[in-house]
Amino acid sequence: MDPVSDQERQQAFELYVLPEVDVLYRVGLSITRNPADAEDLVQDTLLRAYRAIDRFDGRHPRAWLLTILRNAQLNRVRRRRPELLADPDETMPKVADTATDGGSAETPVMERQFETAVEQAFVELGERFREVVEMVDLNGLSYQETADALGVPVGTVMSRLHRARRKMRKRLEAQGIDTPHFVPREA
Amino acid sequence: MIRRRRRLSCRQVGRSLQEFLDGEIDDDQRITRLREHLEACRDCGLEAETYRSLQAAIRRQVPPITSPELDRLRDFGARLAAGEIDADQ
Repeated sequence: MDPVSDQERQQAFELYVLPEVDVLYRVGLSITRNPADAEDLVQDTLLRAYRAIDRFDGRHPRAWLLTILRNAQLNRVRRRRPELLADPDETMPKVADTATDGGSAETPVMERQFETAVEQAFVELGERFREVVEMVDLNGLSYQETADALGVPVGTVMSRLHRARRKMRKRLEAQGIDTPHFVPREA
Repeated sequence: MIRRRRRLSCRQVGRSLQEFLDGEIDDDQRITRLREHLEACRDCGLEAETYRSLQAAIRRQVPPITSPELDRLRDFGARLAAGEIDADQ
């Protein structure tokens, strides 16, 4: 009945899907705000991708997988709405914990002050703004991939992201925090 | 014949700056013009540096990518790829 053999399906899955598991998990974490829920969501996404891979044309696997992940999440929210509505208050300590762990004794005071202020400004962004910043800056997604993951137009991603960063900047300026221009660029 | 390119204004650079820093512009000529402006204009250069610092600070908040959940997912994916899991169950 199925023209695609199990072996072809498995090869395609290995080629297109396995390299994206880390990104999917990161995006899942941004969406669910909970490691166990992110794991469930990504597992569901992998199963759906495996079943659908014979209909995938091989182009833009990440975008394809992010769309599957978004649909899987929509189903989960419909099924378990109360638990899955992310509570921003609950996510704040997590962000704060990971950030404060990162400071080493050698970190210059000004840089640490900047990092703390950025962390605070990030947390204070509304959920809609924070999630696009997370997708692009933390998860490394392109604007289009972010649009696929969130199910919104690319223009919306751009305007939310740019506004979010401007808000954060203004917040830092209002606190009189200088930007440390010695911050090394990402490799 | 050499065609003189019009320099971008600060306002034009400001409108494209975040897209440029995010690697979202794929027009090579535009990238070159933006780069030239950022090198020559102190204000726009500082603006770009501020956004880079902001982005870098946000990136440093990333939780460690190693986690038991992720390890299990990698294993689950590998087992699916190896045909060890019935995806239709």
